[in-house]
Amino acid sequence: MFIRPFDYERAEHLADACDLLRAHGEAAKVIAGGQSLMALVNLGLAQPEVVIDISRAAGYRDCVAADGYLTVGALTTHARLASDPVAARCQPLLGAAAGQIGNARVRSRGTLGGSLAHSDPAAELPLVMVALGASYELTDGRQTRVARAEEFHLGFLTTQLADDELITAVSVPVLGPGWGWGFEEFSRRDGDFALAAAAVLVRIADGIIVESRVAVGAVGDRPVRLADVEISLSGAAPADAAARVGPLRGIRPVGDAGASADYRAHLCRVLVTRAIAQASARSLEAA
Amino acid sequence: MTATITTTLTVNGRQICKAAPAHLSLLRWLRDVAGVTDPKYGCGEGICGSCTVLLDGEPVSSCLVLAAQADGAAITTASGLLEPDGSLGRLQRAFHVTHAAQCGYCTPGMLMAAAAALAGSQRLSRQEIRARLHGNLCRCTGYGPIVDAIELAQDEAADDRGK
Ligand SMILES: Cc1cc2nc3c(=O)[nH]c(=O)nc-3n(C[C@H](O)[C@H](O)[C@H](O)COP(=O)(O)OP(=O)(O)OC[C@H]3O[C@@H](n4cnc5c(N)ncnc54)[C@H](O)[C@@H]3O)c2cc1C
Repeated sequence: MFIRPFDYERAEHLADACDLLRAHGEAAKVIAGGQSLMALVNLGLAQPEVVIDISRAAGYRDCVAADGYLTVGALTTHARLASDPVAARCQPLLGAAAGQIGNARVRSRGTLGGSLAHSDPAAELPLVMVALGASYELTDGRQTRVARAEEFHLGFLTTQLADDELITAVSVPVLGPGWGWGFEEFSRRDGDFALAAAAVLVRIADGIIVESRVAVGAVGDRPVRLADVEISLSGAAPADAAARVGPLRGIRPVGDAGASADYRAHLCRVLVTRAIAQASARSLEAA
Repeated sequence: MTATITTTLTVNGRQICKAAPAHLSLLRWLRDVAGVTDPKYGCGEGICGSCTVLLDGEPVSSCLVLAAQADGAAITTASGLLEPDGSLGRLQRAFHVTHAAQCGYCTPGMLMAAAAALAGSQRLSRQEIRARLHGNLCRCTGYGPIVDAIELAQDEAADDRGK
């Protein structure tokens, strides 16, 4: 544990953290839950000269539903998201995904904003945000803008965030009437990052799937929506859905020490069909 | 901007206020600054669980939290599980009885994961106890005796409540 010493700044407000980021430039890193950053620091992979702590900033920890959208503050921990009653009622996919992250200690500290900003391709939260068509509220302390989840995640640990920008909140549409959701992931051991993961939403009317959203994670450099699968599901009876899912053309899995590319592609297809079945069952229950 | 920061933590009921380099993790602050050496450095990545402590009652990897981030918090480590008279607490006794420690390196973290698991009111099955230990690695025992210990402590606590 040979850590290069760094200075510490505590931001009382997120806007202060943006000012500090501008003041210190490239040498500075924001810390929220620390569940990604501290591991990188301990391993010597990140060597910030200044660490700006936003974990104690006021606010940004609520799950609020209004006008058909659920808005979750960026400092909301994974544990809170997994157990929040408003989130569970309005968009249960979020809590289901958050509850699968790492272990209990990671969920105690890790935050929504941190997970999205870190943008690990295997992370659960970016995946469900892409599936849900989430929008991220960003601020540089002076101006705010909105980024769409599908455009925000650019690749491995890479996002649209400018150097002085922070995520303040995330909005997702409330689960509409008749919609069902499914979430499936596979990892070697519980708590490991997923080898592949799938998030699915479907709406069934008169016994057929009329709308769907299908996204997968951990099989490329970012989570992706599978438009071809969504099109093929349209008009299918839930029982025929699995047969309609052909080879997944939207993914380019890479092989690594965890799994070969072929195995990941196979796994991904299996998880997508299971998540469709889950979502269909929930949609039928909801009807 | 500060390279040295004063942090106040209530560690196992005792308030400790110390100035230290700002880049210290909670783990290093506890061990090297406050002299509380129960939590152990294992992996530095939050995977092994040997540095687990309770921060305001929640289990955390103390290697992945800056001490400065925890300023003002209550920290519980394995010695915080002792009875007021200094004898072994219920969980510690149970670990002793079932031989749940071999080399002992994971034990302080295991105890805190166990304490967090048993903090809720609902009774945990063996399977649920195992699930609560995901993220705490033991390379000696094969986990069986550790699950036995937690079950034993849970049963004893239930007996006490029944009395
Ligand atoms: C053992 C272990 C297992 C894990 N397993 C999983 C897993 O299975 N799935 C998973 O998804 N994740 C997993 N994680 C990562 C975890 O989810 C992290 O909590 C998350 O990636 C980062 O959130 P954080 O709040 O801890 O961010 P930090 O570590 O504090 O920061 C991460 C990055 O995000 C930036 N950042 C933080 N907050 C903001 C913000 N509001 N706006 C802009 N930038 C910000 C920081 O500057 C930094 O670059 C695991 C971590 C560990 C230690």
